[in-house]
Amino acid sequence: MGLFGRRSVGPLGPLGAEDRQDPAISGNGRFLASVLEQGGKAMVVLQEQPGGQTVALRHLRGHEPHSSPSLSWNGRYVAALVQQGPERVAILEDRATGKLLRLPLPNGSQPARLSLAPDGQRIAIEVIEGGQSRVQLFDLTGQLEPDLPGGLAVQGGPSVP
Amino acid sequence: MRAPSATTKLGLACAIAASAGLLSGCMGAMPTPMAALNRQLAMAGTNRGPSLSGRWLAVITGRGGRDQVLLLDVARNAPVPVPGLNRGDAKPISVGVDTSGERLALVRQLEGRTELVLYRRSLMSLQPIPMQPAGVPSLVTMRADGKELAVQVSRDGLWQIDLISLP
Repeated sequence: MGLFGRRSVGPLGPLGAEDRQDPAISGNGRFLASVLEQGGKAMVVLQEQPGGQTVALRHLRGHEPHSSPSLSWNGRYVAALVQQGPERVAILEDRATGKLLRLPLPNGSQPARLSLAPDGQRIAIEVIEGGQSRVQLFDLTGQLEPDLPGGLAVQGGPSVP
Repeated sequence: MRAPSATTKLGLACAIAASAGLLSGCMGAMPTPMAALNRQLAMAGTNRGPSLSGRWLAVITGRGGRDQVLLLDVARNAPVPVPGLNRGDAKPISVGVDTSGERLALVRQLEGRTELVLYRRSLMSLQPIPMQPAGVPSLVTMRADGKELAVQVSRDGLWQIDLISLP
């Protein structure tokens, strides 16, 4: 094993042999988000760690393909890129309240990746404009309660079949 | 009977929007762009693959055909030196930073190979992290406390995720 310990993400299918991409871990290590190919759709899957039990998300279904999930410290906030009609949209789900925040971008900007600060107070979004990528930071202070170490524990909720 | 509060009404509107399959903005005003920092990033050239943790933002910048990792102190709106992290003959692919700004994980191409390395800023040291079983890393994210990595790895024709704990 060497210097670095390794562990499995945990099962979804019986053999754990699915294509999984775009991993993101919550700051406390209790949740892992990743993008899974299911039925031809790229979907964000949230799993408790360790063990891999799948946790339901409220707002993402029906807006595939998903990409670039990012989690706050306790996994309260799940940010991701989703599809809304012809547009890629950056959204953020508050698992404690069930609320949804859509993050508007300047006209003509196409989001490509995002990274949510662990406390949920800032987000960095990579956008493509005129064929060039650039990263923009947004301040979420005042819109989201901070998700700090030892903060509000959001339970896993029902598993997804 | 009490009238529903603003919060209840907002929650109801969100629930209706969600049930209708809409992603309408359900929470207040628009996020505020951090203009000074965004200008700083624009001056650095093109940039991609952000990793935001605490007061630190790591991105891969490209200028003059050369890509390198840039670490910014968001609170001071200033770049921070990362001596020994960037090499002229290496191409960074993906970067992750912890909330203390001490540890960065980097996937890079060097001498025809793709490798995962751990950088410790206070020591200015780079340590290779082998893929076991063998695989090709393509994306890394770091847990905020710097204790664990989640790595997207190509292995046996599948994309897999390795969770690697750090000493």
